[in-house]
Amino acid sequence: MLEDDARQGNPGQRPAQLVHLRRAAPQDQDRLVWAYQTQVTAIYQYLYARVGNRPDAEDLTAQVFMKAIQGMRQDVSVAELRSWLYKVAQTTLADHWRQYYAEDLTELGEDVAPPPPSRENHEAVPRVEALLATLPDSYRRVLELRFLRGYSVRETAHELGLTETNVKVLQFRALNRAGRERKGN
Amino acid sequence: MEDDPEKLDQHVEDLLQDRRPERVPLPDQDALLARQTAAMLRSAKPGAGLPSQEFLQRMQRSVDGWVRARASESEPHPGFSRRSLILSGLSGIAAGLLAALGVEKLTQKPAPRPMDLVIKGDWKNVMALSAVPPDRPVRFTSGAVEGYLIREGDTVRALSAICTHMGCALNWSTLRTQFECPCHGATFELDGSASLEYEAKGLRRLPALRVRVQGGQVQVYSV
Repeated sequence: MLEDDARQGNPGQRPAQLVHLRRAAPQDQDRLVWAYQTQVTAIYQYLYARVGNRPDAEDLTAQVFMKAIQGMRQDVSVAELRSWLYKVAQTTLADHWRQYYAEDLTELGEDVAPPPPSRENHEAVPRVEALLATLPDSYRRVLELRFLRGYSVRETAHELGLTETNVKVLQFRALNRAGRERKGN
Repeated sequence: MEDDPEKLDQHVEDLLQDRRPERVPLPDQDALLARQTAAMLRSAKPGAGLPSQEFLQRMQRSVDGWVRARASESEPHPGFSRRSLILSGLSGIAAGLLAALGVEKLTQKPAPRPMDLVIKGDWKNVMALSAVPPDRPVRFTSGAVEGYLIREGDTVRALSAICTHMGCALNWSTLRTQFECPCHGATFELDGSASLEYEAKGLRRLPALRVRVQGGQVQVYSV
């Protein structure tokens, strides 16, 4: 990375010196690139679990790293960088949701409360299981079929013996109930 | 423009197809919560939520560009690491190389200030000066910054509240008058330095935050 930079700026320099320079400065620019490489998947997953689609998750991930790289000192520890990235991800998400609904969302515990910064595992599955367990059977069933098994509305209607309109109504009620459930926790 | 099953299903369909849903204003918070819940459910589907190789490659190029752009700007408060890089026997390298790396100007600067965490942001109100207790640090969150305000008469200092070891949020102990980390027990003094035992283990001091008082309001430089 650093080598490429220097080479572009100074085509006349010999690579040997540049390698030496890279060893002499393990932090700074290299640290940012390293932080990116180690954190990008975790931040992407964190954001994907909150927006639920690839284009938004990609855009928001890019925004988070752009803000972090432009706004933060380079000589902080990796742990601080990680904490910082999650904080930036949270504020970026809050801005994102404000495009849908312009009210202050700070009461929305799960999506803006600080996550434990050292836990990088994809946490969506246990969260979803816990949430589904709080719902009545018919609500849980429609959400499982639609989201976890990827059934279309038509397939879901067939499976549950309902009309397609009824499936959409059931899905609507189930998501609203689950949303209030999450907010209450 | 009340929310209804059709509108919500359109949003759900977009998520299931991994498309960007239309950004339409929503009538109420329930409608927002329903969509956020749909996002969470969507991400639990097996195989969902991993970045594509193509995206990662694109991001790597962007990151390279941002880091390079940053390196070519001169920073307002140079830190230690670049200076030590320059002082460690690299003076023989052509000045052009240093310029390419954005470090040339730093060689002429005086000793660095104490570290500031945020170098590019905005001044944001945190709380009234009168609300900052005279005898103990008080926690605040401003944008992406978690910190402590420490009152000194009519002025205020601010420190990052994030442990420099593993990134946990520090607590203030009134009893022992020190910052304490709930994760591994590291402690920091009121001035931000790691307590002697931890300093000896190589723990760095807490970065300072830029802070000022305007019209009775404490403002922190934050992002």
